[in-house]
Amino acid sequence: MKTLQTMLLALTVLWATVALPAAGEVNLFGWSEYVPQEVLDGFTKETGIKVNFESYASNEEMLSKLVAGGGAYDVVQPSDYTAEVMVRRGMLAPLNFALLPNRKNIAPDLLDLPHDPAGKFTVPYMTGTVGIVVNTEKVKTPITGYRDVFQPQFKDRLVVLNDNRELVTWVLYSLGLTSSDVSAASLAKVRPILAAWVKLVKVFDSDSPKTALLNGDVDIGIVWSGEAAILWNENKKFKYVLPVDGAHLFVDTLCIPALAKNKAAAHQLINYILRPEVSKLISDKFPYTNPNLAARQLLTADQLANPASYPASGKLETFRDIGKAAAEIDKLVTDLKSAQ
Amino acid sequence: MSAPANSMIEIRGVTKRFGSFTAVNDISLSVREGEFITLLGPSGCGKTTLLRLLAGFETPDAGSILLAGEDVSHLPPYRRSVNQVFQSYALFPHLTVRENVGFGLRMQQVPAAAAAERIREALATVSLEPMADRFPHQLSGGQRQRVALARAIVCRPKVLLLDEPLSALDAKLRHAMQLELKHLQRQLGLTFVFVTHDQEEALTMSDRIAIINHGRIEQLGDASEIYHKPRTPFAADFIGQANLLSVTVLSRHATTARVRLDDGLELTVSAAELPAASQTALISIRPEKIHISKRPIAADNVFSARIQEEIFQGATDQLWLVTDQGTRLHALVANESAMNEAYHEGERVYCSLHLDDLVIVQSA
Amino acid sequence: MLAAPIPPPLTLGDRRRPGWRAWALITPMVAWLLLFVIVPTAILFVYSFCERDEVGGVIFHFTWENYQRVLDPVYLLIFARSVGYAGLTTIICVIVGYPVAYYIARATEERRNRLLLLVMVPFWTSFLIRTYAWITILKQEGLLNGLLQSMHVTTGPLSLLYTPTAVVIGLVYAYLPFMILPIYGSAEKLDNALIEAAYDLGAGPLRAFSAVIVPLTMPGIAAGTLLVFVPAIGMFAITDLMGGAKVPMIGNVIQNQFLQARDWPFGAALGVVFMLMFAVTYGILQSRLARPKS
Repeated sequence: MKTLQTMLLALTVLWATVALPAAGEVNLFGWSEYVPQEVLDGFTKETGIKVNFESYASNEEMLSKLVAGGGAYDVVQPSDYTAEVMVRRGMLAPLNFALLPNRKNIAPDLLDLPHDPAGKFTVPYMTGTVGIVVNTEKVKTPITGYRDVFQPQFKDRLVVLNDNRELVTWVLYSLGLTSSDVSAASLAKVRPILAAWVKLVKVFDSDSPKTALLNGDVDIGIVWSGEAAILWNENKKFKYVLPVDGAHLFVDTLCIPALAKNKAAAHQLINYILRPEVSKLISDKFPYTNPNLAARQLLTADQLANPASYPASGKLETFRDIGKAAAEIDKLVTDLKSAQ
Repeated sequence: MSAPANSMIEIRGVTKRFGSFTAVNDISLSVREGEFITLLGPSGCGKTTLLRLLAGFETPDAGSILLAGEDVSHLPPYRRSVNQVFQSYALFPHLTVRENVGFGLRMQQVPAAAAAERIREALATVSLEPMADRFPHQLSGGQRQRVALARAIVCRPKVLLLDEPLSALDAKLRHAMQLELKHLQRQLGLTFVFVTHDQEEALTMSDRIAIINHGRIEQLGDASEIYHKPRTPFAADFIGQANLLSVTVLSRHATTARVRLDDGLELTVSAAELPAASQTALISIRPEKIHISKRPIAADNVFSARIQEEIFQGATDQLWLVTDQGTRLHALVANESAMNEAYHEGERVYCSLHLDDLVIVQSA
Repeated sequence: MLAAPIPPPLTLGDRRRPGWRAWALITPMVAWLLLFVIVPTAILFVYSFCERDEVGGVIFHFTWENYQRVLDPVYLLIFARSVGYAGLTTIICVIVGYPVAYYIARATEERRNRLLLLVMVPFWTSFLIRTYAWITILKQEGLLNGLLQSMHVTTGPLSLLYTPTAVVIGLVYAYLPFMILPIYGSAEKLDNALIEAAYDLGAGPLRAFSAVIVPLTMPGIAAGTLLVFVPAIGMFAITDLMGGAKVPMIGNVIQNQFLQARDWPFGAALGVVFMLMFAVTYGILQSRLARPKS
């Protein structure tokens, strides 16, 4: 075992050496399909710093790579609950606010969330919600919450995120509980309801749930708000509804790993992204909720009127890290999906 | 037109073309029941195609094939009562010797007990009973050949087709198998159609030989007829060896005629089948039929020649002679007595040709 | 090959020590095997006996727990279902692929090369893109439904996408070439005289096929089965994209352990069991082939 660890360490060191950034380079480890290329190009053009972009498809994937020994990344993009773990484990470097003057553009209430109180380690990149999209041409009954969606009459007409924690959270909301209440007792209550819900779904898709709706394969979806916003732009028949039983806000952040080699360039890049005109570019391409108030000023009336991008809502909770319960949830959903 | 009573195979004007190439060109042939007939010819002459037409692997473009009086021209191979021994033996590698031999019986749904007995019999016939449970790859070439034979005869076909079955064997085994095949054929009373390019094989085994060239039968006859009375230059040359001499007819008599070789040497030949005076013809003489003597002799067509080259071959001597007029002849003499009649290069000898041995193979 | 003669046993004279050249020649392969097969497998094996921490890291502390979880009925059922789908895929691939492979093997050389090229052309395009193409064909307002309705075969659109049928179509499509190529390989080597011999001995086309052609191309069928069955068990992209991720396959479960549940040790244990299954399948097929028909 010792040998194995040594070998892994050796491999890591080797990797790190190979990937060691030159002075004028910054390594960004970000979500796939989330950072417009023109933003990176603009940064390089202005500063001469080359951006090496590597992407991941889930928080867990990013975390695994970092845990396995990634000192080579200068900027990462964890979501709220993942950022919480990283803060707790000391994996993130505190931000130097002096180097981030554009941080002032961010909505103040988003700089003080449970995963990073006082916003010492993270700064929001984009935020969004998970809500219901209804094809109003096909569905005439009013849909307001999860229980309206998961009805026998909509069997095989639903697309939902292929995300186990999301599925469980929706049931928790419908039971009047919070997303962090994943005790064995709560999960026992979730099980029978979720079992019935899973049977009604036609497609589970996290990557592009809008496809099934656009293709006409399904009529209702529970999807990322950005996907819903694109659907709305495509055709106004796709209405976005924030479930009345409860919804959560997700905050994707920008932060700097504790082991980053080029922290100066990392700050430069984050500050560049926080510029209103740059942040606007992101909104244009990925119509999530922009946390950058100055950038919102630059958006068109149409963009701001998109109910999926900017839904009317009170203050929503964010996901918290649930530790090993993730495995329980995974087993629960796998079991229910498999049993149908 | 009906087949003769004892005719097993009737081939009537059969033609087979592959694209623009005519493999079999209007061949007609009748084979008696129990006959051993050999199709002999060089590769590409059409003999194998003719065999495949008999087997049913090809269908004729023209003409018809009758088997025991029944027109089988368009029957698939599995509906014909003929079986073939393939050149490569084509034994099924995944089956044992017993299963290979029993394959045809299984296809005919012969009851197991009867099949077992017939397989045993067939294996006994080819002396392979101890090998029954081996796989083909565990057998020698000769043994595989016997399995192929047993597999074909166990079905009791009306006709057995053999496609150069001995070509893959070494010379010694080949000679042994030639005799064995001949005996087997007599013993079973089966009609054999044997394809080969080996003239010695043909002469040894066949009742009749069909010499095939360019898709046609050049000559059909028994071994001695084919050998002694070749009717075409090709037949003369392909079977055994022959000196082919081009001649001009000088004069004809009652039964004989006088001819002159291109080099001026004059010979007396049998007049039958010879064209009129001043016409040309091609005559053939076998090397062993050139009689040679060191002293002048009284016989037909005597002339003198010089030994240009001599090759000692044990039982025989090969001699290349040049006549005084300059014609080169190939002769073969038996080494009867080692000492007194040995021939040497450069010696002058007397040759005589019997007029019956001079065969007209082509007349103008 | 069954038909291959048994090689003669090695005599002492044959037994030469491999020289440095031989070592030099196999070094790249050994290095490749070591780095990309042995080491990852060893890591997987070690991980499968470890515990996870809350972040998803691996704690080197011995436990059987992961294997106990593998034996949980939830996962056994998924294993069984994956095997079922893979089995069905394999059977369809044999039925569809055999005639194609046989036809190609019997075609003239020029035509054969052209047809083989056609079999391989799909590999020039990314697998995911080809799968998306199937989504375009099968979706509710897709090409197939449009065609069926314009030909008045069906009145309303059929639900084709996101069904088990779609998953099987996707699997068969993805793996068919892996069945065709090995069968082609053994059919091409098949001596035509053997088929003629079968006909000559009274076998009609069907009997010749079942008694001679199939047994002699069995090595190709077996290789194809292995190449289709084993990867089909572990396939996850097709179940996600064409099956709507509704019914999890073992590949999805393993993928989830690494990408969602942050449970590498359990994923590793599933992977190890999966590999064992492969080895057992392979062993059974090999012994079937090695034992000649009695």
